[in-house]
Amino acid sequence: MTISTHTIPVSPSFSWTDQHVNAQTTTDERALEQFLKHVERRALRMAELATAQRDEALDLVQDAMFGFVRHYAAKPATEWAPLFYRVLDSRLNDWHRRRQVRTRWLAVFTRSADDEEEGDEIAQAPDLNEPGPLLRLSGSEAARDLEDALRRLPSRQRQAFLLRVWEGLDVAETARAMGCSEGSVKTHLSRALHALRTALEDHA
Amino acid sequence: MSRNDPHNHSNWLVQAKNLLDESAGGLDAATLSRLNRARQAALDQRRPTRRWALPAGLVSACVLLLVLFTYLPRDGAAPDSQVTKNAAGDLDLVSSDDSLEFYQDLEFYAWLEAQDQDLGS
Repeated sequence: MTISTHTIPVSPSFSWTDQHVNAQTTTDERALEQFLKHVERRALRMAELATAQRDEALDLVQDAMFGFVRHYAAKPATEWAPLFYRVLDSRLNDWHRRRQVRTRWLAVFTRSADDEEEGDEIAQAPDLNEPGPLLRLSGSEAARDLEDALRRLPSRQRQAFLLRVWEGLDVAETARAMGCSEGSVKTHLSRALHALRTALEDHA
Repeated sequence: MSRNDPHNHSNWLVQAKNLLDESAGGLDAATLSRLNRARQAALDQRRPTRRWALPAGLVSACVLLLVLFTYLPRDGAAPDSQVTKNAAGDLDLVSSDDSLEFYQDLEFYAWLEAQDQDLGS
């Protein structure tokens, strides 16, 4: 597969490292709070796109904040963004693993039961037609289609897209946040762009 | 515009980013409140615990108790000194190792002692 060489339009206003942190590293509590304030909404939306559940997403973001502050707050502020998303990624992976285990057990216990729908993954999948915040805010089909397309993406592709395009991390930072190589980031991103482009062609 | 047109590619990405920004910017108040609480709770881990708070609280409580016992008027009447004395005497009787019969005959011994004194005088 060819790797996209298109320039990703990253707005500098979304780069924490560019805009909010000077060369002098500071671990001041106010800077830490500002950083969390800066990333929390997007982190929540990312978690929500991954889980399709607001409450679960809020819990995961809270866990990520706790883990980040506990383990990485003393790190240079220039490293905070990839580290925070690394923690969030870890929490999301844990959540998916727990969910898979739960689904398997449910399938075992409900196989003998009359209700076969409970173990049905399709029945348990999030309702993609349910209007999310995008639709409520913009009221446009483009917003809903974007959200649906993002939810349908494999998690690694979605993560690469959101971190790179939306959060504005560079390739190296995205790789650090995802715990993979820069080459993998480029591959995931290229596939994500292709899939999204196909899904949203009408709105592109 | 062709599908491979980089300009077109950038345009839809900018549009997608704007839509995502709208979704993040328009979160409801309850969600924002929960995010705020989560952030504060996370930051609390780093805030130093107030080690002086416990001793200060204990000292304050002691001072308050002292003031209450010293200055507040007692509502009930002062305990009767005779009653207190009798109660103390009863307590001595119960807790003593001496036989109860000895105490039952105590009046007789007192009378006997008085008789002896009268005879002596």
